[in-house]
Amino acid sequence: MNSFFAFLLSIRWQDIIDVLLNSYILFRLYVLFRGTNVIRVLAGIALLWIFQRMAVALGLIVTSWAMQGIIAGATLIIIIVFRNEIRNVLQAKNLRALLWEFPQKSEVMPIEAIVQGVYELARQRIGALMVFPGKEGLDEMIQGGLQWGGLVSKEMLVSVFWNGNPAHDGAALIQGNRVTRVGGILPLSLRDDLPKYYGTRHRAAAGLAEQSDALVIVVSEERGSVMAVKGSIFTPIGDNVALERILAEHLGTARAQDDHLSVRRESKELTIAAVICVLCMAGVWFSFAKGMETLTSIEVPLEYLNRDPQTQIHSTSANTVRLHLSGSAALIGSLRLDQVKVKLDLSSAVSGQNSYMLSNENIVLPPGLRLNRIEPSEVKVALDVPATKEVAVQVDWVGALPSGLILESAAVTPGKVKVMGTQRILDRIETVYTEKIALENLKTSGQISVALALQPRALKIAEGGREKVEVSYAIGRRPN
Amino acid sequence: MTSNIPERSARWKCAARMAGLMLLFSGMTMGASGPAHAAEAPPEPGNATIRLVRAVMCESIDGYEPKYIAVAFSINAGRISCYTLFDDVADTTVVDHKWYRQDELVTTKRLTIKPPKWATYSSIQLREEDKGPWRVEIWNAQSRLIKTLRFSVID
Repeated sequence: MNSFFAFLLSIRWQDIIDVLLNSYILFRLYVLFRGTNVIRVLAGIALLWIFQRMAVALGLIVTSWAMQGIIAGATLIIIIVFRNEIRNVLQAKNLRALLWEFPQKSEVMPIEAIVQGVYELARQRIGALMVFPGKEGLDEMIQGGLQWGGLVSKEMLVSVFWNGNPAHDGAALIQGNRVTRVGGILPLSLRDDLPKYYGTRHRAAAGLAEQSDALVIVVSEERGSVMAVKGSIFTPIGDNVALERILAEHLGTARAQDDHLSVRRESKELTIAAVICVLCMAGVWFSFAKGMETLTSIEVPLEYLNRDPQTQIHSTSANTVRLHLSGSAALIGSLRLDQVKVKLDLSSAVSGQNSYMLSNENIVLPPGLRLNRIEPSEVKVALDVPATKEVAVQVDWVGALPSGLILESAAVTPGKVKVMGTQRILDRIETVYTEKIALENLKTSGQISVALALQPRALKIAEGGREKVEVSYAIGRRPN
Repeated sequence: MTSNIPERSARWKCAARMAGLMLLFSGMTMGASGPAHAAEAPPEPGNATIRLVRAVMCESIDGYEPKYIAVAFSINAGRISCYTLFDDVADTTVVDHKWYRQDELVTTKRLTIKPPKWATYSSIQLREEDKGPWRVEIWNAQSRLIKTLRFSVID
């Protein structure tokens, strides 16, 4: 119980915004794409992603790699395959519709007018093909035709399929109370069990019905008969009551016929969708930000800031500190060293030894990670003021003279140089040495110019001083 | 080297005493020849009682004279010495030979000198790890630096 409360207390306001914002984005995607195949494919991809995360958690390297590839491919495919539906959603709607408006369910379909229209067509022996979409989008299946938006009425249906109408040949798409498309070309069925007297119109109705959940009504031009096609089933319609019943069943209005019930059902559906979106995002957030809590430790260099320019850092008890961090496996796994900084403000430091206790205030971490421990927790910094000192110069001879020779004397010009460094360094130094001079090649007395080898590196030649010195040496023959 | 200091100290004390005595009885002839590389030091201000006449680094002392005076000594020499000759010694006093390898004090040898003229020296045994730049500082009884001799121990 305590750990649950600790978990609740660890949730930041950014986390809540994070979950709500992404839930809303997911919910808007659902609202915009509901009723299309995109939603189903997205659900499939989400399922693949869950499998991929499980594979990662279980250490199934090849599986997780394959899943990752499939998800990447599927994401690309969804954009290509459903480009029309995506385009329709994005183009047809303005910014307000995209961000917060709820598209109203289609207007209630005037079933009675449709029934009357169908039977008028049948009576006049006018061939007709009407498509009533289900929940699936049909944009990919219906080719050609003209976009339209005429209100459905008996007269309108008759005129659409009247022989003199240039767009009479093809299917009419009826959505809500409007004819949204006329002259559409449907995919033909490849079935070989259809009666021989079924013409192209029937094959087209069968083709679309097989591939979708749409209801297709066919009016035969030759016989004046009416046929309803759904799935792979052809249902001959004997009278207007049967047609009314089939249409009502397909539209789901057989029992809930009044608008009030329809609105309530839609509100319920959207509420459930919103809750599922929030739960999904909370789950995703938990798996990323809180799930699979992992510990790690990293070595981070110390950054010393705001040092008085008059002083120099002489020594520090630590140049790096080890940070023990905790967070989700995903955050820990993606952690880069440059995202973590340990800063020590030396603005209040004085010349001499300074001691600092490191705390959270000194540490910069990416969001979501927590600092558990710092090693060492205390850092000592010794500051010193630069000074100068005159020290003797000595030649650093190395190697060996050729046999029988002896280096009798050597003189350095200048014999002393002024060097600059912190007081602590200068206190330890009495001599600076030249670069090493090899004796092997020296056979006679002479003079050479040689640079100074300043140690430690913090030691510098004072301003105006010489980096090189002249060495005069005398070589004699070794007496027997 | 440090482990040899007591033994070495006893040896050079004995040798210094002998050298001093010999010099005393031989008419103080050692100060006649100057060192090869170290110029004779001027009288030290505030130290009128002794005067450093000669200070050299050498491989050995032979016949009360430094032999093989140099500023670079092969490790194969085995032993090197710091030879000093004082004049105008009014009273018996001491001088210190401080041996430094780079800036690290390796050993300090306290040597007694007696009136009126006295030569003395200190030595160290060389080892492989002794290669590098050295210096010997000569300090009087008043802790005043009289002279610094610089040399290297080489291959």
